[in-house]
Amino acid sequence: MKVLTANSLTTGEVVFWNAGRWAVAFNDGQRFDGDEDAAGALTAAEDQPRMVVAPYLIDVEDMDGHWVPVAYRERLRALGPSNHPQHGKQADGDADVQALAAVTSSARSTGRIKLIRR
Amino acid sequence: MYRYDDLDRQMLTDRSNEFRHQAARRLSGEITEDQFKPLRLMNGLYLQLHAYMLRVAIPFGTLSTAQLRRLAWVATTYDKGYGHFTTRTNVQLHWIKLRDAPDILDALAEVGLHAIQTSGNCIRNVTADPYAGATADEVDDPRVWAEAIREWSTVHPEFSYLPRKFKIAVTAAEKDRAAIRSYDIGLHLRRTRDGELSFEVMAGGGQGRTPYLAKTIREHLPASRLLSYLDAILRVYNRAGRRDNIHKARIKILVNSLGVEEFARQVEAEWAQIEAAEVDLPDTELARIRAAFQPQVFDPQPAVSPVFEAAKAADPEFARFARRNVHPHKVPGYAILDISLKAPGETPGDASSAQMETVADLADAYSQGEVRVNYTQNLVLPHVKLADVPAVYARLKEARLATANIDLITDIIACPGLDYCTLANARAIPVAQAIAKRFADPERAEAIGELGIKISGCINACGHHHLGAIGILGVDKKGEEYYQLSLGGSAGADAELARILGPAMSGQSIPDAIETLVETYLAHRQDGERFLDTVRRTGLQPFKEAVYAVAD
Amino acid sequence: MPSLIKLDAGSDQPRALTVQDAFVFVHDEEPIPAACDIVVTLSRLSSEGDDLLASGRRVGVRLQPSEAVEDLAYDLPRLAVVQLVFAKFRDGRPYSSARVLRERLAYQGEVRAVGDVLREQAMHMVRCGFDAFEPADGSSPEQWVAAAYRYRHVYQRAADEREPIHVERAQIASGLGHNRPDEVGA
Repeated sequence: MKVLTANSLTTGEVVFWNAGRWAVAFNDGQRFDGDEDAAGALTAAEDQPRMVVAPYLIDVEDMDGHWVPVAYRERLRALGPSNHPQHGKQADGDADVQALAAVTSSARSTGRIKLIRR
Repeated sequence: MYRYDDLDRQMLTDRSNEFRHQAARRLSGEITEDQFKPLRLMNGLYLQLHAYMLRVAIPFGTLSTAQLRRLAWVATTYDKGYGHFTTRTNVQLHWIKLRDAPDILDALAEVGLHAIQTSGNCIRNVTADPYAGATADEVDDPRVWAEAIREWSTVHPEFSYLPRKFKIAVTAAEKDRAAIRSYDIGLHLRRTRDGELSFEVMAGGGQGRTPYLAKTIREHLPASRLLSYLDAILRVYNRAGRRDNIHKARIKILVNSLGVEEFARQVEAEWAQIEAAEVDLPDTELARIRAAFQPQVFDPQPAVSPVFEAAKAADPEFARFARRNVHPHKVPGYAILDISLKAPGETPGDASSAQMETVADLADAYSQGEVRVNYTQNLVLPHVKLADVPAVYARLKEARLATANIDLITDIIACPGLDYCTLANARAIPVAQAIAKRFADPERAEAIGELGIKISGCINACGHHHLGAIGILGVDKKGEEYYQLSLGGSAGADAELARILGPAMSGQSIPDAIETLVETYLAHRQDGERFLDTVRRTGLQPFKEAVYAVAD
Repeated sequence: MPSLIKLDAGSDQPRALTVQDAFVFVHDEEPIPAACDIVVTLSRLSSEGDDLLASGRRVGVRLQPSEAVEDLAYDLPRLAVVQLVFAKFRDGRPYSSARVLRERLAYQGEVRAVGDVLREQAMHMVRCGFDAFEPADGSSPEQWVAAAYRYRHVYQRAADEREPIHVERAQIASGLGHNRPDEVGA
């Protein structure tokens, strides 16, 4: 499964694609089963250069009933920095975020998909 | 210290107006991200994992209290109430919004701060000895020359699109506190036998993927000829440096592929053709800059302060602080006071807005209104009366800024790593925190003695791991965060690159591995030598055996 | 075909105009057209330069970033234009080339920026001695001049006439004040 992510142009915040709109929470992001749908969404996102910067697809996996990014880097993006648990998306801490945080702290980092340079 | 005059300030205003214009064109879609990115980078604005990051320059690491207060205000108003001081004596704000950036630059410009050329393939913020103007072992205030370089390099018409970034550091003291040999150009000011100021010019240093220490290309450059000589170096580099491969574009690659003699020859040939009088500053301008750095007026003080001595005798913690963080000043009865931003458990180099305010207050009250930023990610109060040190200490302690660990095992350099940085392969901060907690007992840390641990989250080496007595490099090993240890690096006058100890290991095993290294050192230590000296004497073998024996 | 902007040297205030480009760039594999002003590559200039220069027309050369302006020294006085190619706007070699042309080789003819020529670099180009531009971003002469003179002061001498800040400071200190054009445009 894949999720489409980017950073907001005006704020830099991490955002996730859902049917043509951008959500701020990882769990509100649309999950793509097929590569074709994902690629189509990416093309559509790249057509929004005034909304976001550098959209790209990430791999997500089901861990204990929760969807989480495969790459450690993407978990940090979905949560926030590990040295400031009160900063970033993890600060809001609803059940989904807490589950993601729990999985992240117990898991080792795994394969990063695409290293983008900014 | 140098304070910007009207003309300097107008430069900053013009710059922030230009950026406001460029940001507006990006937001309106008039220019693309590809076109905008180098423009925002030249104004220090990166897009990182969670937000934009603004890197503000602190030229030669010198801050006025008004500037420090303004940084605190910007951090509170536009960020999350803290700043991160870096190994290039810049300060980074990690939660910036693009739409706020022009206003922030305006607010900074009002106090003579800016983010000009803190990124991009241009001449970056110039650094200098953090004890400049306060230490007895310097022949001149290196900031006079660093300020001349700052002006010369700012919005340079010819050298703003170099093959790669370009960093210059200056020292005028025998003890190198600015790590000048790790710079593209390192400048060491000395006095010749007949009393003239003269630079030893070194070129081609750098860390990153292929670390090199800078090599001397000219032993004696009359100081007044500095700028034209820099012009020559930069022109040779701009024309001949590689542009086909980003990993081979730094000047260190050019110097080492040509050979240092040939590179020096080309620089000399270019210099001979430059109309130096057009470039070198006239004596009047040098005198103007020099006047700005004139030594402050120091009240005569007894060389030994009874107040200071009594405080040391009464409080062992204060005595430790005095041993670790208080250094001799050129004026009797005064001290240079290091403020550690490395309290165990905290993020190395981070200071909250409240802490910045505290340091500004202390500098106003006790240090002639001056603060320094050290590349070791600590702050410095350069001119404190010995008699005032106990009072300063008390205030620092309240603000959690009195950690007595300068140069000790818990005084760890760490880049922001994967927690913030898009380039990183692994986190650096949690590793630093885990090590600092392991060695949090200050008595033990002091017994271990001087030991620099430096951690980078990727090969770009912002955490100076090549120069650590223990260097730690975060790598990505089949998708996991792994860490590679290296030993024997040093940034000082005895600069040396660290050597890799063995295979990388997981983050969890790092504190144990450091523990093993320390025990091995203590077992081999002779005559109170430093960790670094033991490694140099014994070589890596005993350390390698000890660390990897456990794993086998 | 990008439009050609030229600095107006005759004006007191910084000014630029759109002008008709009289020169035709001839690729190496193309035949030399009859009776018009041409620009050729360095290799063609080396092989056919004497014939071309003797043919009673104006001749210029186009240099790639890696080609040294010093190689033109012999022909330079007879060249009407030197075009310096910005392969990418990030490639800063043409700035050095332009300064060497103006300051060391004392070239008086047109120095034209071609290729990835963007308004954001206008000031750098003007200061390094370019006086003609083929903007790739559709900039107007007004926009070009506004960008080129956005800074009221400069910190260093270059190939233009502008005096560095320390000269202004010395004038202010000596009570002479300073003569400079007011900020141009927005």
